[in-house]
Amino acid sequence: MSLLEILGYEFFRNALAAGMLASVACGIIGTYVVVRRMVSVSGGISHAAFGGIGLGYFLGIDPLLGATGFTVAAALGMGALQLRARQQMDTLIGAVWAAGMAIGILFVYLTPGFAPDLFSYLFGNILLVPRGDILLMAVLVIIIVAVVAYFYRELQAVTFDPDYATVMNLPVERLSLLLLVLIALTVVMLIRVVGIILVIALLTLPAAISRLYTSRIRNMMLLAVALGIIFTVTGIWLSYLVNVPSGATIILVSTLAYAGALGVERLRQGD
Amino acid sequence: MSTPVIEVDDVWVRLRGHTVLEGVSLVVYPGEFYAIIGPNGGGKTTLLKVILSLLAPSRGVVRILGSTEARMRKDLGYVPQFRTFDFDYPITVREMVLSGRLGHIARRPRRYDEKDHARTEEALDTMHIADLADRQIRDLSGGEQQRAIIARALVGDPKVLLLDEPTVYVDAPTAAQFYGILDGLRDRMAIVLVTHDIGVIPEHVTRVACLNRRLYTHGTNEITADMLEAAYHCPVDLIAHGVPHRVFSEHSREE
Repeated sequence: MSLLEILGYEFFRNALAAGMLASVACGIIGTYVVVRRMVSVSGGISHAAFGGIGLGYFLGIDPLLGATGFTVAAALGMGALQLRARQQMDTLIGAVWAAGMAIGILFVYLTPGFAPDLFSYLFGNILLVPRGDILLMAVLVIIIVAVVAYFYRELQAVTFDPDYATVMNLPVERLSLLLLVLIALTVVMLIRVVGIILVIALLTLPAAISRLYTSRIRNMMLLAVALGIIFTVTGIWLSYLVNVPSGATIILVSTLAYAGALGVERLRQGD
Repeated sequence: MSTPVIEVDDVWVRLRGHTVLEGVSLVVYPGEFYAIIGPNGGGKTTLLKVILSLLAPSRGVVRILGSTEARMRKDLGYVPQFRTFDFDYPITVREMVLSGRLGHIARRPRRYDEKDHARTEEALDTMHIADLADRQIRDLSGGEQQRAIIARALVGDPKVLLLDEPTVYVDAPTAAQFYGILDGLRDRMAIVLVTHDIGVIPEHVTRVACLNRRLYTHGTNEITADMLEAAYHCPVDLIAHGVPHRVFSEHSREE
């Protein structure tokens, strides 16, 4: 079936819209994650999101809404602990990672009846994204783009050299927390697309590939967004054609592209 | 004499149960070139961090241009020890130098204006790296990177330039050229240089102190044997004829 034909289905158009919105967020925020080396922090935040999914089920609200509040709170808590208590970040990440999953499991257990689509939050199912979620994702993308555009210089200074940013009297703590909140919001958007477990790959791979070909943050973001869109659209289409899970397909397409890019880079440097 | 640009008054720092700085006092006046030497772990970087309010002392105060407010540090140009940030970060030399203006931008959102760009080009020229402006910092040599970091400090119109081990990663001729550039800045700002390498103290310094938890100085530009012995806890030979301040140490094997 050609791409044009399946575009006739609303679920497929929704899936594409969700994939593109998610790609915009991951291209922009993933760039900071890669250059600031916050990949494991993002992993912790994304797994903590499962606690919010469980909370959403328990309270009978949209699990994604529950995940938004819970993930932002977990990110802020992690950042505040690191800044104030001077705890080792990798220990904190491990704790938040596991505790978030544990809270999610308890809430799902305590919720009477069966939890519908629980599996899709873990592994993503972009072909089932409802209209309401697309609206939520669009709002989140607008917030992310606006905040990054406003604080572009500050975020660059803070992610490049926090000590020097402090000496220039920039509000480094608040900006670091802001960045964690943006990561949390992006993670929430990606849950629908690839699921909690695979979020980290879509967040980092497009930016990591883009890093190979760009020398400035802004260009790195733009290329990462474009790559993200290519990977998600290709992944969605392939998964539909072969009838396999979409989230896993998107991740494998991205990983193959990353491996290919690294391979080409090695060959180029070998010359 | 005019107001000191930096006053450190009886500063003590305890970190994780160890006393890192013990009753350190020091005054830097405009136009001075102040060299602080001392062994690794002697508290040099800690002292700079206290001056920059990156670290709060357990006791004592720091005044910048007569004020104890931390915000005054925007008038200090900080040149951190080389590898404290990620040189793989995707940023061009010009962008990095421009970012040194952020502390002076009052409008929101912070955007660079004509003056910021003009000051940046000036600083690039001063440090002889104008031709590298569009290169990524990771593609520069060690000496070029170091000059880019200093250019970033210069665009903030600092009253004092604080340099932490600036010549660790550069070879001797580059270091000599580098000190020549620094000397040319002294009519605009005071310079404070910390280093563990007593062989590289440039001839232009106006004052020298030795730091090893405590600060030893005679308030002159002479390094004396007693200062070094106090700081290094080992006998040090001093050769001061012909090449002033060129010092060779003979360490005993007590450590």
